[in-house]
Amino acid sequence: MTAHPVDRLLPHLRGELAAAERAAVDSHLAGCAECRDAMRDFAALAALISRAPEPAPPMHWGAFRSQLHAKLERRHRPAGVGRRWSMGPLPAALAAGFAAVLLYLGVLSPVGTPPGGDQATLEGQVLAGRLEVVTQLDLVQDLDLLEDFDDIDGLDSPAPSRDS
Amino acid sequence: MEQSDEALCRSVANREPGAFDLLVERYQERAYRIAWSIVRDREDARDCAQEAFIKLHDAADSFAGQAKFSTWFYRILVNCCLDSRRRGRGWRRLLVWRDADDADRADDLVERQPAPPDDPGERMDEDQQMSRIWEAVETLSPQQRAAVTLQYREGLATKEIASVLNTSEATVRVHLHRAFAALRQRVGGAR
Repeated sequence: MTAHPVDRLLPHLRGELAAAERAAVDSHLAGCAECRDAMRDFAALAALISRAPEPAPPMHWGAFRSQLHAKLERRHRPAGVGRRWSMGPLPAALAAGFAAVLLYLGVLSPVGTPPGGDQATLEGQVLAGRLEVVTQLDLVQDLDLLEDFDDIDGLDSPAPSRDS
Repeated sequence: MEQSDEALCRSVANREPGAFDLLVERYQERAYRIAWSIVRDREDARDCAQEAFIKLHDAADSFAGQAKFSTWFYRILVNCCLDSRRRGRGWRRLLVWRDADDADRADDLVERQPAPPDDPGERMDEDQQMSRIWEAVETLSPQQRAAVTLQYREGLATKEIASVLNTSEATVRVHLHRAFAALRQRVGGAR
């Protein structure tokens, strides 16, 4: 028996072999049960792969194209434009470390804090409290109840008794 | 009438507005699917597909038009994916991936194994088989996965795959045969 034509079984299934090659494989298959079994399994596997559901994770194509255009634009930007602040990972890490040290010295260190607290900080906190009310202004304006101060004044007075 | 891919590629080379976007929309899903089949990682596959489109944009004028556009583009894409693997961007999967050489050695062992017994009691239903087959595909080498995907999901002929992978038709036949022998062994046949 001739050597098994293993790498020609799949091309044979797909009809890709030339006539002479196909005839040689057919002749081998006629006398080789092992190759016939392999051929049958390969055909079934090929059909399964062709119709199996798509296994790739889903992708948002709008985001894909936006990101692609952003990359393309970055790639074609003239050298130096928009790259003034870009730096490699090591300088970026050093800069971040330096900034962290400065932050620690400036915020957490007791040096420079006046005894009894900082007056400017207290005023800032009061102002911030007022600002919070301002941010809720829409809500306050929507409360019709507040427009009628007579009603508000009367809220504290005892409710009239049912007898009167 | 809809413009052919080849004509669109020439329009991209001439920097005609909209041509690139049209080609991207035509090929984005196929590009991502093929990239995913090779790198097996969502982000890496997206990056590889995008990189292939950027290369297409920049090199559109080098498309000679002798081959089909799809074959030319798939070659760019597959090269991006294999380069990505070589650069180790797929490091997250290194622990489960075998080296291609190891895969080939394992395939040699598979070659020597007898076919699994044809026992109807051991046959799985189709859903189980499909799930197992994709698990088995994951164990193939990137080149084998690329060949299987290009042939059985994208419908490329062996000759076209050889052009995409920049190798001989005989090598593609070997990739495909080893891939199927491994799948047959792992899935237990699909009879």
